[in-house]
Amino acid sequence: MTKLIYFGCLSRSRYKGTCENATKIIKFLDDEYQIIDDPPCCGSLAHQVAIKEDVENHVKLVNDWFKSNDITELITICAGCYNYLTRYYPQYLGSDFKVKVLHLLQFLDTPENLEKLNLKYTGKKLSVYYHDACHLRNAEVPIIEEARNILNSIEGPIQLKEMENNRMNSLCCGAGGGVYSIFKENSDFSSKIIFDQMRMSKGLITACPFCYTALKRIQEENKIKAPVIKFEDFIFKLMEGVDPVSV
Amino acid sequence: MSEKGKELYEEVKDKIEELKNNDSAYAKFGEIWKLACPIKYKSYDLRFLYEDTSREFVDRHKDNIIKMREDFVENIEDYTKLCMKRLGKTNHFKVHFAKTNEEAQKIFMEELGDNKVIYKSKSLEAKDAGIIDILKENNIEIKETDLGDVLCQLFDYKYPSFTLAPGVQFTVEEIVAKIKEKHGIELKPQAEAIVNYYRTTYRPELLNNVKVSLTSANAISADDGSIILVENEGNISLLTRATEKHIVVAGIQKIVPTVFDALLVAKIQERIMNVDGAYISLISAPSNTSDIQGMRVFGMYGAKEVVIILVDEWRTKAAKENLLYKDLLKCISCKSCDLVCTASRAFGNIYGSKYGIGAVNIIRDYIHNGIEATVRDGLFLCTGCENCTNWCPAGVDLAEIMRNLKKEATEAGLAPPNLDKYKEKIFKDKNPFKAQ
Ligand code: SF4
Ligand code: SF4
Repeated sequence: MTKLIYFGCLSRSRYKGTCENATKIIKFLDDEYQIIDDPPCCGSLAHQVAIKEDVENHVKLVNDWFKSNDITELITICAGCYNYLTRYYPQYLGSDFKVKVLHLLQFLDTPENLEKLNLKYTGKKLSVYYHDACHLRNAEVPIIEEARNILNSIEGPIQLKEMENNRMNSLCCGAGGGVYSIFKENSDFSSKIIFDQMRMSKGLITACPFCYTALKRIQEENKIKAPVIKFEDFIFKLMEGVDPVSV
Repeated sequence: MSEKGKELYEEVKDKIEELKNNDSAYAKFGEIWKLACPIKYKSYDLRFLYEDTSREFVDRHKDNIIKMREDFVENIEDYTKLCMKRLGKTNHFKVHFAKTNEEAQKIFMEELGDNKVIYKSKSLEAKDAGIIDILKENNIEIKETDLGDVLCQLFDYKYPSFTLAPGVQFTVEEIVAKIKEKHGIELKPQAEAIVNYYRTTYRPELLNNVKVSLTSANAISADDGSIILVENEGNISLLTRATEKHIVVAGIQKIVPTVFDALLVAKIQERIMNVDGAYISLISAPSNTSDIQGMRVFGMYGAKEVVIILVDEWRTKAAKENLLYKDLLKCISCKSCDLVCTASRAFGNIYGSKYGIGAVNIIRDYIHNGIEATVRDGLFLCTGCENCTNWCPAGVDLAEIMRNLKKEATEAGLAPPNLDKYKEKIFKDKNPFKAQ
């Protein structure tokens, strides 16, 4: 019976600090969760460009890894992993897939955990936006209100604003489906219109590392003031009493 | 990855490069499209026109529509048979069933007879059946009537366009200049002046000269054999009335079980596209009268003859054999998926095929021309955001079809270079982002 923290390849390769922050948050709430070295990639990115047999083999390999490590539950901070593990793993593996998969947002958004976190913000008046990632809103069990519940639970002069396109109607950052690595131009436009929908805001929070990568680039290239912040970093900074939109 | 994959990738890249040149056809279309789709996106919220938003309207009927479309696909052969019977026996239409596109083309040419001119509107289905190509090959003069199409013809526009507003990319100044160049008429650079020009010059022609007209149908009801056509300009009203012979070409997926379903389909299309109203024609027989001694005579003031060519080609096969694009049979052509598409919004008419913009038309290209064509159409521009699937009122899982096409393209060695690399790293290193 092992509870696993499964970061997802993008985060563990590129956003190590965020992984550390996420680990601290999770362990603060439930010390039983642990990290295991070198977990295999869930395979999400190969899904649409690999033949069925290869995908099936890979999914099986990952499941065997879960089994050999006796994983019964996992929390991921990757929107892509969450979507893929919950949608396609049961399809490919049926009842052989026994791992209970949670996204960090689901884990945080319970009355007990929110109470224990007791998030407070004491700085100057702050308004932020939350970007609904496709991977989260489209998932078998969509994650939409969780993020809002968590952000709204924060005590202090902080306001969560909504873009014109939110929840199921959110705008895609343009990076999904591997498009980011071949046609970056999509996110040039798509990520930009996400920022265009923000008014007088100090930050854009996202719970998807892929969206983060695309949005961050556009924010920097267009010298947009409001920084893009990963959900985990935002929460962790609040816990530490640090300005959550500082970069 | 094959050389071909690289070549196709470069081809799409080149088109995207053209976007940077403001005068290119892609940039011009993109500019207006980028404006149009967020507006349409919002138009789902035009509360000041109705009590409910268009989205709420669609959502209220969505379950029914999905059930209705699934029922149709399940029983596609029965519904087709029933529909043909109603159209022919009950309603006195001349009905043809074309098993293949070639058959449809042959029938069409026979129906056309000696006529050398055809007036048309809304004929994506005829294009799909290859009829437009055959007409061109036979030097038949094709006269568009929808103003957008008329403008595309005026400009000799060769790029994919938005089927429901095909001329949106031309500016008033460009149109006026083109009319001067082609017709020698000087107009004020105003939309009203352009409309008035066509009203005064083209409308009389449509009222008096049309012998054979071609339309598709928005839906055809099986229970009572009615054709339903939605429009806003009135051109379809003229083409279906002020003509000798009205030919309808439609794929059998246009069939819906009942006339109420047909009306619902029409209303959905209207609410999504044209929030401020339109004409709807429900045609259940050629023009006729029984006013002389109760004797029924056809060809009173409207069309004397209405010919319906129902095309099967890929459709029954897709339903029966569960082909990967089977879901497309449920499509009611409302175009929601184009308006909310991430790839379409970013790349305009680069993302599309010769049948028109967007995912549906890329899949059409796949059906007729194979996987290579779809890669050229920008298959790999799709981000998998699933907006199309989420918004579809008929339950078509377009995103899933696109995913499957990407798989097929990859197997055929047509995937863009970087994607292949990811795949290998996942299977080999178990981490696509591992530093080399
Ligand atoms: S999944 Fe692809 S086709 Fe569908 S809306 Fe998104 S980008 Fe467009
Ligand atoms: S596939 Fe697109 S056009 Fe067809 S019904 Fe669905 S949203 Fe409408």
